[in-house]
Amino acid sequence: MNHKSVQVSRRTFLRGSGVALALPWFESFAAGSPSADETPKRFVSIYHPDGVGLPLKSDPAWKDWSWFPRGGEKDFELTKVLDVLEPLRGDITVYSGLSHPAVRKVHGHSNADQYLTGAATGGHGPYQNSISLDQVYAERAGDFTRHSSLVMSTNGGIGGPRGAQTQSFNREGRPIPAMNKPKQIFDMLFVTSSKNAAARLARSKSALDLLIANTRSLERHLSGHDQETLKQYLDAVRDTEVKLSKAQKWIDTPIPKVDTQHLHLEAEPKEARLYFQTMYELIYLAFLSDSTRVATFQLGRENGEGPHDLLSKAVGLGGAHGLTHAVKQPKGWKNLGTYNRYQAEEFGRFAQRLKETPEPTGKGNMLDNTFAMHGSASSSFHLSRNYPIISAGGKNLGFTNGRYLKFGNGNEDNQAGAGIVSDAGWRGKIEAEELPLARLFVTILQRLGVETESFAGSTGTLSRV
Amino acid sequence: MNTLKITILLVLGCGIAILAADHQAVSLEKAKELGRMKSRFLKVTEADVPATGAIPKANLAHFQEAVGPVLKRSCLACHGPEKSEGRLRVDKLNPDLLIGPDVERWREVYNVLSNSEMPPEDEPDYALADADRGGIVDWLSSELNKASVIRRNKKEHSSFRRLTKYEYNFALQDLLGLTYALANKLPPETASEDGFKNSSELLQMSAMQFETYREIGRKALKRAIVSGERPKAVTYIISMQKEMDGAASAKNAKTFDKNDKSYRNNRNRQHLLNRETGKGIQFSSGKSMPQPEAVVGQTPAVSPVVLVLPGSNELKLNLDRFLPDEGIMRVRIRAGRSTMNPDEYASLRLVFSAHTSNNANFSQVISERDIPVTASAEAPQFIHFDIPLGDIQRNPFRKLTTTFPRRDEFLHIRNVSNATGGKEPLQVLIDSIEISAPFFEQWPPKTHTDIFIANDNKSDEEIYGRELLTRFLRRVWRRPVTSKDVGQFMALFAEYRPGFSNFEDAMLEVLATALATPEFLYLTQRVAANTPETPGTISDLELASRLSIFLWSSIPDDELLELAEQGKLREPKVLTAQVERMLSDPRSRRFSRNFVQQWLGMDGLESVTHITDNSLREAMQEEPIAFFDEVLNHNLGIMNFIHSDFALVNERLAAHYGIPGVYGPHFRKVSIEPQTNRGGLLTGAAVLAMNSDGKDSHPLKRGVWMLERILHDPPPPPPPNVPEVDLTDPQILKMTLKERIADHRNKPACISCHSRIDPWGIAFENYDALGAYRTQIKNKPVDATSKLFNKQTLAGMDGLKRHLLTDRQDQLARAMVHKLTAYALGRPLSFGDHADIDRLTAQFRQRGDHLGDLVHLVIGSNIFNSK
Repeated sequence: MNHKSVQVSRRTFLRGSGVALALPWFESFAAGSPSADETPKRFVSIYHPDGVGLPLKSDPAWKDWSWFPRGGEKDFELTKVLDVLEPLRGDITVYSGLSHPAVRKVHGHSNADQYLTGAATGGHGPYQNSISLDQVYAERAGDFTRHSSLVMSTNGGIGGPRGAQTQSFNREGRPIPAMNKPKQIFDMLFVTSSKNAAARLARSKSALDLLIANTRSLERHLSGHDQETLKQYLDAVRDTEVKLSKAQKWIDTPIPKVDTQHLHLEAEPKEARLYFQTMYELIYLAFLSDSTRVATFQLGRENGEGPHDLLSKAVGLGGAHGLTHAVKQPKGWKNLGTYNRYQAEEFGRFAQRLKETPEPTGKGNMLDNTFAMHGSASSSFHLSRNYPIISAGGKNLGFTNGRYLKFGNGNEDNQAGAGIVSDAGWRGKIEAEELPLARLFVTILQRLGVETESFAGSTGTLSRV
Repeated sequence: MNTLKITILLVLGCGIAILAADHQAVSLEKAKELGRMKSRFLKVTEADVPATGAIPKANLAHFQEAVGPVLKRSCLACHGPEKSEGRLRVDKLNPDLLIGPDVERWREVYNVLSNSEMPPEDEPDYALADADRGGIVDWLSSELNKASVIRRNKKEHSSFRRLTKYEYNFALQDLLGLTYALANKLPPETASEDGFKNSSELLQMSAMQFETYREIGRKALKRAIVSGERPKAVTYIISMQKEMDGAASAKNAKTFDKNDKSYRNNRNRQHLLNRETGKGIQFSSGKSMPQPEAVVGQTPAVSPVVLVLPGSNELKLNLDRFLPDEGIMRVRIRAGRSTMNPDEYASLRLVFSAHTSNNANFSQVISERDIPVTASAEAPQFIHFDIPLGDIQRNPFRKLTTTFPRRDEFLHIRNVSNATGGKEPLQVLIDSIEISAPFFEQWPPKTHTDIFIANDNKSDEEIYGRELLTRFLRRVWRRPVTSKDVGQFMALFAEYRPGFSNFEDAMLEVLATALATPEFLYLTQRVAANTPETPGTISDLELASRLSIFLWSSIPDDELLELAEQGKLREPKVLTAQVERMLSDPRSRRFSRNFVQQWLGMDGLESVTHITDNSLREAMQEEPIAFFDEVLNHNLGIMNFIHSDFALVNERLAAHYGIPGVYGPHFRKVSIEPQTNRGGLLTGAAVLAMNSDGKDSHPLKRGVWMLERILHDPPPPPPPNVPEVDLTDPQILKMTLKERIADHRNKPACISCHSRIDPWGIAFENYDALGAYRTQIKNKPVDATSKLFNKQTLAGMDGLKRHLLTDRQDQLARAMVHKLTAYALGRPLSFGDHADIDRLTAQFRQRGDHLGDLVHLVIGSNIFNSK
């Protein structure tokens, strides 16, 4: 119902500013963007560092604790790591054989930075990243929500080059700081209203008025041809005005009211389960209230240290990063598998919650209109190949779930790089052929309604998805 | 019999040798002279070119009488009712170029005839007598010019455009007095068909672009303008004397003596040395903490204790986490050279790094260029770098309250040198280093006082605000401003003022708005009300802007503006003097760089991946710019671009070209011998390397480049459905590159274009993918001989140059005039400009083809002064 009021106020606003509207803007608005009464299309990506367990077939642990499923596309069998997702089987897809080509031989610890960007971020020296998948979509989806995206991580901030603590990067490849305190995130979403923002907006509005007047007076002195050229400038100023009006509209629109009773906003990572579930719940609430349609959440930083390492406490284990180094110790694979299983369980709980909530516009449930991704930029120990990726939902976007999709060649049983515990692994020769993960990204973007043929220099979509 | 055969062979052999020798006898320099005499433009007088204003009429009588019959005789067989090669039928062309629809086709006819490409040389039945050819060319030339004048009035293109990314950057830098890059955030520009990025048609504006301008402008002002007290600087002072004292007093300090034999082991690693006592100690990294009481900019006595930095070594300084977020970091180093051998050089470079946790690290060169160390160790020099801290990659963890991830930041001082060691190696000796941020030469800084001028009205915000806005807007808009203009901005100021605690902060927002006005972002040309006698001419002020954008890629300075305001800029003597002044100003380097990069399409070098040596790549990029500068600064002839008996090289490039005795990273002019196989732009490594495919040369790319960039005769784009060369075909795999090209060319769909492109590229075959000269490819001799469309043979690069210089000077000169004019105007040239370009080319050729003259000619031309 909240949605309806947004719609009305948008119309009012259009009528209000209609006199000054230039046609080209209006046309592009109508043609290129989803209209407000369409069901929201959402995207969320969860990133976990340090990869997953990948024992050799000859290892007794292989049967239960190897991350990837067994079997074919539809008759696949989940091991103990992912069997918590069995109840959601019809709503999930598991992928293998995908990775970003530029960093396949870079240490996995350096690669959280490029999971959603596909950039050649390298292992040392100068550093340059590029725009992340979520932000490409946010540029479009942000037109319709108060926040263009919600960027979260357990560690917060941006981290350092090759040690990102955020999954989101803007068009220039600069990191977007992630929020990590539930209380702050909640306040940002449902409490804050800024006086400063209103004052800034008013100043900008006056500046634009001056610029339009100034342009008008210049226009009179130009030839017809040159006036046409200057019109582009005028349109640009007007488009900016429209953006400001939009921002103003959000300032004027009451913030959705949310019942906080069930939320544990003071939870900290050391209260692993509580914290983890609260963060997921905040994404859920942001989506439900249509405060944003885009979210990323990074579980800590690569190479351990900090809050992320504490999440494994939820299942009674020590530092999460240490688990990946200790796989050859007694119960090693089991411990790592148990931790990954816990991550999958929480992801499943979140997906289930979306599934149980009818879409406010009445079109299916929320999960059907959300593409939720869960994955890491390494599979085996420090090995940045064959990313372990699960997706959930997206039925109404065109995704068919209940499948295990293997891509590439030469690694059908996911044994390339299995069982490695030394750095010879990630440095080693690339035996199997994998497909660029960016092709999945192109598929995702197209289904979210972004017209594009390529991402991070990789062209084309993934068949079968 | 046998003897006879041998004799005949001998005689034949001698004959060939003599012929070859005879051919060689004409040096390329001589070919320049010979070719010049053939010029059509040298015979043109002003009267031949119709003046604007007269109403020209088509000369159809001459066509019927003289041109038509010759065309019929020599062309109709292939371009008539029987056959219409190239889809051209000369019998169908309307001979009235002024109103007829066939001007573009006629222009093609004109091109192939004047370049002697048609009729083909192997069709003797249709050969054209020189007089006939000349007759047609002259008639066409005159008709084309008349048609151009007619069309000029229906003007298709305008120079009204926004500034390019680089022009906006320089304009902002020059306006505010900031010296570092400001506009990186803007998207890159698209290049026009001519390769130019300043072409009006392509310079679009979008909301995102507009918002980025606002953001950049505001941010730049925030850096130029200060408020409040001078901020306390964070200062580190590293005295090598103190470092030595500290290091030597450590428990297990390993000291050594310069006079010991074992010094050899330490000599080539960085160490501290007391030059008086000879005592030394290893030292490669230091940790320094800010010294609150330190005073910078002092000149203490030179210390005997120095840091010895051999070539390729560096000092890594841990600065912990105290550098401020914003502001200039000045690094001031006192350094000297250990030896003064002029063939060796040493220079300093700064690198910044952090290592926050395992595998999470970065390091980046932060100095814009290496600064050479030229002073001796006895009388060392101060070298300083100014680094904008807000623009470089920083350690994001520096403000953590915990110690992990690691918070410290490192400054590396590196010696970049060509010294190779030996007994007395060239080393850089440093006795002290100062690091201070934020650094200000004075307080308030000049960037601030240039806007907030000191005067008595400061206490009255209304009067003072008007004053400073009047000054500021005049620079921003490049014209005098009216009180109404200022009033608009004062109204905005009045609205903003209550929201800010001080005058400067509120005014900053107003100035930021001025930087987003169209008159700053665009090069305007007003429909003038005040010069009714010359309606198509731009005003003096617009001329000032056009000039400064052309030669400085930026806005005019005060001198230029004043002359324009006084109406003196167009006085021929004044204008000439101003152009001379502008060309000798360092800002004119921007012209050389931008024009050459765009003209030659140097962006192509960025998209090839086979140049792995960075210093070679940099040298390649620099060479054509240095070459252009040399020709421009000494007003040399542009035929030097085709061939010259000198080259511009630095040490790295000279090594690549096999030119001995060149040391150091700077470019200088050297004489070269023919056997160096260089000279001119065509054999520059950049051109050769960027027109390669990563493994080998790419004759097609090189041919297209030649036609587009040098001859200004771009081939049409490839038709759709061109068959790819099938590299899985074993027959094709066996062929040499040249054979493969010939095979492809012989396909009917490809032949008409490729026979015009390939021969040019094949003549480059003696140069490999990195532009190195070669005589063999895979143990077979290089075959770089090709035949042009008109059957003219090109014997490799030498033959290509010879042909261009002997037979194509007019085309080369006209191409140069075209390229430079298109760049100067910032718009594509069209047929309507034909007559102007012809007139300019004639003047240019008659004055002797000198590049400097051309710049003056273009600036003084009708076309440059027109809207």
